[in-house]
Amino acid sequence: MVTLEINANEFVLHPSGAVYWREKQTWLLADIHLGKVAHFRKNGIAVPRAAEGSFYQKIALLLSLFPVNRLLFLGDLFHSTQNNEWYLFEAWAKKQPYQMVLISGNHDLIPPWKLESLGIEVVSEQQEAGFLFHHFPDQSTKSFLFCGHLHPGVKLTGAGKQQLKLPCFYHTSTQLILPAFGAFTGLHLLKPKATDKVYVSTGKEVIEIVERV
Amino acid sequence: MSWAAQWFKSNNWEPQPFQKQCWKAYKEGKSGMLHAPTGSGKTYALWGGIINELKANEVPPKGLTALWITPLRALGVEIQKATQKMLQDCNPELYVGLRTADTTQSERSKQFKKPPFGLVSTPESLHVLMSRKEHQHYFGDLKVVVIDEWHELLGSKRGVQVELALAYLKSFLPQLKVWGISATLGNKVLAREILLGPTSNFAVIDAKIHKKIKVESLLPKTMERFPWRGHLGIHLLPEALKIIKKNKSTLVFTNTRAQCEIWFHKLLEKAPELAGSIAMHHGSIDKKIRLWVEEALRKETLKVVVCTSSLDLGVDFSPVENCIQIGSPKGVGRFIQRAGRSGHRPKAGSTIYFLPTHALELIESVALQRGISEQQIEDRTPYLNSYDVLIQFLMTLAVGAGFYPEKIYPLIQSTFCFQNLDPERWEWILNFLLQGSQSLEHYDEYKKLIRNEDGRLEVANKKIALHHRLSMGTIVSANDLKIRYQKGGCLGTIEEWFISKLKPGDTFAFSGKILALIRIQNMEVIVKKSKAKQAKVPAWVGGRMSFSAHLSELLKKTLYDQQSLKTPEFKSLLPILEQQQKESILPQSHELLVERFETKEGVHTVFYPFEGYALHEAMASLIAYRISLLSPISFSMSFNDYGFELLSDQAFDEELFLAHNLLTPEGLYEDLTQSINISEMARRRFRDIAVIAGLVFQGYPNKPKKAKHLQSGSQLFFEVFKEYEPDNLLYQQAVQETFDHGIEHGRMQLVFEELEQKKIIWKNCNHPTPFSFPLITDRIRSKLSSETVEDRIKKMYLQLEKYA
Repeated sequence: MVTLEINANEFVLHPSGAVYWREKQTWLLADIHLGKVAHFRKNGIAVPRAAEGSFYQKIALLLSLFPVNRLLFLGDLFHSTQNNEWYLFEAWAKKQPYQMVLISGNHDLIPPWKLESLGIEVVSEQQEAGFLFHHFPDQSTKSFLFCGHLHPGVKLTGAGKQQLKLPCFYHTSTQLILPAFGAFTGLHLLKPKATDKVYVSTGKEVIEIVERV
Repeated sequence: MSWAAQWFKSNNWEPQPFQKQCWKAYKEGKSGMLHAPTGSGKTYALWGGIINELKANEVPPKGLTALWITPLRALGVEIQKATQKMLQDCNPELYVGLRTADTTQSERSKQFKKPPFGLVSTPESLHVLMSRKEHQHYFGDLKVVVIDEWHELLGSKRGVQVELALAYLKSFLPQLKVWGISATLGNKVLAREILLGPTSNFAVIDAKIHKKIKVESLLPKTMERFPWRGHLGIHLLPEALKIIKKNKSTLVFTNTRAQCEIWFHKLLEKAPELAGSIAMHHGSIDKKIRLWVEEALRKETLKVVVCTSSLDLGVDFSPVENCIQIGSPKGVGRFIQRAGRSGHRPKAGSTIYFLPTHALELIESVALQRGISEQQIEDRTPYLNSYDVLIQFLMTLAVGAGFYPEKIYPLIQSTFCFQNLDPERWEWILNFLLQGSQSLEHYDEYKKLIRNEDGRLEVANKKIALHHRLSMGTIVSANDLKIRYQKGGCLGTIEEWFISKLKPGDTFAFSGKILALIRIQNMEVIVKKSKAKQAKVPAWVGGRMSFSAHLSELLKKTLYDQQSLKTPEFKSLLPILEQQQKESILPQSHELLVERFETKEGVHTVFYPFEGYALHEAMASLIAYRISLLSPISFSMSFNDYGFELLSDQAFDEELFLAHNLLTPEGLYEDLTQSINISEMARRRFRDIAVIAGLVFQGYPNKPKKAKHLQSGSQLFFEVFKEYEPDNLLYQQAVQETFDHGIEHGRMQLVFEELEQKKIIWKNCNHPTPFSFPLITDRIRSKLSSETVEDRIKKMYLQLEKYA
């Protein structure tokens, strides 16, 4: 894990793609796309169901790591309209003692009142402690922005024509874009600028890429 | 005299012996196989028999009587015309219809309301017909199915489509006759058995037409400036122009669509007077333009046509005078077929000019000539256990009339492809369709097929039926976008990934024109003509072709044969061979050459088994895998038809390599399985499988957005199956296909047994050698690593955005 200090706050980058905000004891999670597997299956495309179940295992692990107050979902919590995956999520959500907030993303089609009935607050964006939380990246915000949406990844190259494509945390001077937390999600490759910082996740470790060409 | 014989006579034609034999066998009610090349009169050999039978019956049939399946749409037009001509003279009330992906909706419904006597179609379109509810009634009068160019279909999944369709038709038409038409093949008997199935009432007829084929290599004047690598061959354009100018008509065969575009441009640039008498023909060009070119070829109004394999087959246009083959045709069979485009009249000889794109191809030219003089043609390897095609076929039946699993199972087992489909895997397939390959779970909403009360399987809902209808067909097309002018006028299709790299205003070459991109809207690329001189050329994602086993055998013989040195090709190659000898060696037949040298890119180790691209890809992975077991190391690999290269950032040493006997055939299967899993080979195979089996939904035509939540790449599916469902048959099929078709496992065993006997010559060189040059400059590469991801990352760096 790598810890960043931004505006005198500490943020821990976890290999799962989540970010822990130490001061507020908050986990930030972007692009989980729950129900995506179920949505495909409902339309006759046989994605293994186990791919969806991995969310609950991954998050259970996160919750055991640090003291937790709150879960902040940075959009695209659900992939599409409601399907049976909702009931699994509902059962899980009802058991959680934490505060939960969803910042709406472009995929979030489930009516807010349904989420609110589970105690999940739904907002379009959130201002807090001088930070802005939003689903979409935006270079022009005044406050430092935490966001998702892109499913960022980078291509690494090395001697002997080696190449790797990996998901990453993408850190510019004004924003941090989180990788997708969901299992059945793709990758959008970015070409970093010289001033951008890139932290790739291997699933086991988060590693900052310093060397550049 | 039969009606067909009289008809020939009235046209002042003399029937050939094989035509008479076909008419006779057909009259006797036989099925059969006709071996005859294109342009020999093979169409009338079978159609004559069919018309004779029509004439013999007093009442003409009401329904569809004869079905003619061809692999190419371009062929369909020609066959429809020829058969219609004969039919009309026999009975003007009847007609022959054409049903391909190009057929209009109104024409299709006309054909369904008033069925034609004969229907010319493709394997895909035949399956589309079977997806209609009333298809059993529609096919009720069917007497015969003719499968044209069977040798082309046999080695592909479209061949499996044909097998399934025939087995299915025979299940309710027990009297159905099946005839195949095929070029000469290595595995003739197998080709017949697969098509005709278990029957003893058949005839095999050989037209015994052997054309004289003359091959001439175009040689560079000096070797000094002739490239060591490359694939365009533009260096020899002046020689090609000379031939074009000298002759009335010439076909220029290229191996890729990009090469086709480039040659077209360069020819026009060099010889502007060709404007108006030069044309281009490839699979992405709009059908209207293609048909126009084919028509012009028939009328002999064009001087030169630059084309790809789209003009390989059939199309009995009158003969062109000459053919030029740019670069390696990769197989003797294909080369003969292309040569056959010239001098098309029966018994006339053919000339083909071979234009090498790089130096080593001159060796190939000599090998090809050897193959032609020995009249050897490759085998085609049929597919086995193509679960993806089976799943698609079952869906096709389900969206139409539905099917009873217990009735359909024996019929599927009767095909060659699924002869070993045991009940366990059959259950898996059914479960995949009914429950998405899971056990029944309360929460699961999987929907594809449902079982109704009487046990029939039907599609679950209209939306799923629609998805299936939109994505039927085995040939996988990448996401294609239409190209059209602002004011309308379609030019063809282009792959999305190419266009996505362009910005509005950028220019690119297409269909022989330079176009500027205006914008992309609704899955259409809007363009205007541009006056720019320079333009990007789209590289279509076409699979790379590999040498056939046969050609690589010929190549080795040629290379090791002292006699070869006397050919003009070898004489002009001499400077390069001498340099190779100086920098390294020219290997002998009992030697395996391994070269090692360093450049700023890393440590190169290059092997030269001369076994063809496909085998080298697998060998590279296998050897990289075996080395990587000794200590953590990462490789980047490239391969061509002559050898393969392992590139690494650290050197593995010679003693280590030799001491561990890494070329042993022992444990070959296990090590190959491991290396296939690690490398990209199976993943690439899976791309087609995912589309055919309906996992990757490509969206609604003209409505790209609606399906957005259902779009996902095959890559992601591959990952998910690998991790969560490794026993999935489609995932396993990808690995098995890699074995059977990618690397020809049986042949691999033989090659390693041979290699073990060879003496390894390890040469440490100072510079890249002439032989290695095409390999080390190849940008298409594969990777294999035994280091941890974390360790690899520590040695890597980021490519920054250029304008940062």
